[in-house]
Amino acid sequence: MAEGAKTSPTGGIFREKIRGPRDFFGGLALIVIAALAIWASSNLPGQQGFAFGPGTAPRIFAGLLMFIGVVVMLMGLFIKGPPIESFAVRGPALVVVAILIFAATVRGIRVDLAGIPIRIPGLGMVPATFMAFMISMFASREFRLVESLLAAVAMTTFCVVLFVYVLGLPFQLWPMF
Amino acid sequence: MSDLLANLWLGFSVAALPMNIGFCLLGALVGTLVGVLPGIGTVATVAMLLPITFGLPPVGALIMLAGIYYGAQYGGSTTSILVNIPGEATSVVTCLDGHQMARQGRAGAALSIAALGSFFAGCVATVLVAALGAPLTSLALLFGPAEYFALMVLGLIFAVVLAKGSVLKAVAMIILGLLLSMVGSDLETGAGRMTFDIAELSDGIGFTNVAMGLFGFAEIIRNLEMSQESRDIVKAKISGLMPTRQDLVDSSGSIARGTVLGSILGILPGGGAIVASFAAYTFEKRMSKHPERFGHGAIQGVAAPEAANNAAAQTSFIPLLTLGIPPNAVMALMVGAMTIHGIVPGPQVMIKQPELFWGMIASMWLGNLMLVIINLPLVGVWVSLLRVPYRLLFPSIIVFCCIGIYSINNSPTDVLIAAIFGLIGYWLVKHDFEPAPLVLAFVLGPLMEENLRRAMLIARGDATVFLTRPISGVLLAVAAILLIIAMLPMISKKREAVFVE
Repeated sequence: MAEGAKTSPTGGIFREKIRGPRDFFGGLALIVIAALAIWASSNLPGQQGFAFGPGTAPRIFAGLLMFIGVVVMLMGLFIKGPPIESFAVRGPALVVVAILIFAATVRGIRVDLAGIPIRIPGLGMVPATFMAFMISMFASREFRLVESLLAAVAMTTFCVVLFVYVLGLPFQLWPMF
Repeated sequence: MSDLLANLWLGFSVAALPMNIGFCLLGALVGTLVGVLPGIGTVATVAMLLPITFGLPPVGALIMLAGIYYGAQYGGSTTSILVNIPGEATSVVTCLDGHQMARQGRAGAALSIAALGSFFAGCVATVLVAALGAPLTSLALLFGPAEYFALMVLGLIFAVVLAKGSVLKAVAMIILGLLLSMVGSDLETGAGRMTFDIAELSDGIGFTNVAMGLFGFAEIIRNLEMSQESRDIVKAKISGLMPTRQDLVDSSGSIARGTVLGSILGILPGGGAIVASFAAYTFEKRMSKHPERFGHGAIQGVAAPEAANNAAAQTSFIPLLTLGIPPNAVMALMVGAMTIHGIVPGPQVMIKQPELFWGMIASMWLGNLMLVIINLPLVGVWVSLLRVPYRLLFPSIIVFCCIGIYSINNSPTDVLIAAIFGLIGYWLVKHDFEPAPLVLAFVLGPLMEENLRRAMLIARGDATVFLTRPISGVLLAVAAILLIIAMLPMISKKREAVFVE
């Protein structure tokens, strides 16, 4: 796997300093997560007498994670390691968009984005499945239109039959306005 | 002994009900399908099919889910041998010698040894689960919170030791998993922990969402990156499905050793089928008088790992059914399936619901028998499935996962969380972090914290209780020794690396 993938140079000045970028940035991310967890659990009561409070365990483990993050990061700084593989953008992005479209349209959602209410109507399972299938098809480099349409119709039909008719799960199938 | 026979009789009378045989067959078929198709693993499949089992009776649901797990171990070998792509992570090592055998025109022998080895291992493991069930259950009743906590620590350390790559990074994944499991309401006080005031997080992050993201979506994203070269399916007609006498003689020892090794690694928390197959292959190569034949079509290199992965898949039910502790991600999903049906995994299952416990065990043997038939005469059917191109397969997996996650709670947020974990999983792999220890820790997290808190409370805040109670002290000592042994080569190697510079 690793041999086939392209590798990206890690940024200019760091290139000479950081010998194991995978470990370095991995450790850095652990530190950030640990800091976030410590901050998020800072308002929770801690040890009360013999009893653990709700905040005790999260703080213990976040502290441990912070420590390991620092060690991993330092190892990345001093010990030579493989470069970070380049991240694909198109594939992951389209897969995630497909999943999000499904999540947003299957029942409809309402979100407040910075005070602006956004309402996506519930289109139901059939359109949601069909759209998610078609969008994720684009993630592949070998997209073919007719084949994709046929496959999307077939898969949607299969899912509806399986989940709604055979298993009797309560799904809204078509748009309701 | 007569108890065991009576129990097995009860089990078979449950498993042989036409409906349960049907569920068993369905599980075995789906498992084989998943095993044969590369790019979709057992964890994602069991997670995907969890909602399907809502409407089924509990025994049927668990029989089917179990069938998927061990069925995948059979199916995975078919793809490894014929296409040189592991259909399942557990049959990676089967590629080495299995595909070489196929190229030498001995695909039939490789397939049949893999299936027969798996069947033998399955039979032994079934008996083992039945035999160990009762004693371990009575042992479990002696366990207090301190012992449970120590046992889970040992399990997580095993997961670290057995994970490939850096020990330190595996420990980091364990702790990250534990932290993630604490998101949501506190068990005792109900206080919202690390929820960032997001209402959807107040119930915690659902395990199926994490599993589906890390093992389903991340896997797809990763596969899309690799070039989809045409698969090198062995074209020649598969002939001679019956192994020769010589094949059987050559592989019988390997099958037996693989079974023993796999059974042990399956029972250990943190182990499981993947580790078992690797360990069995390495062991077999060390044992062999002709290690140079390995990698060039040695039948022992197919027999041992295939027996081991199937044995481990089955014995990993032992800690789940007796102690209530899932040793790996698939078993963690089984906990989910049991909880949905109101069954609390643990020593009570065997006492309160003997027909469920023994029915499941008996169904494993029946399932193994079915799998030999499904896999050997019908191998052509499964091979033709491999011609389905990945570009059609992965969108199907995506929508199926989406619908599956959504239907568990009718919650679009769950689907969103799974997508986020898909991206996290992709990032983790790029930085050499293994997702498997994270998932195990995520599952054990709430149980661990609960037992830790309870033990501390009972001991009036004295942390030495974990060391002074004999069982828990021994378990923790074993865990510490294992961790040190695992760290040693790393430290010495790094030192060397530093010195070389």
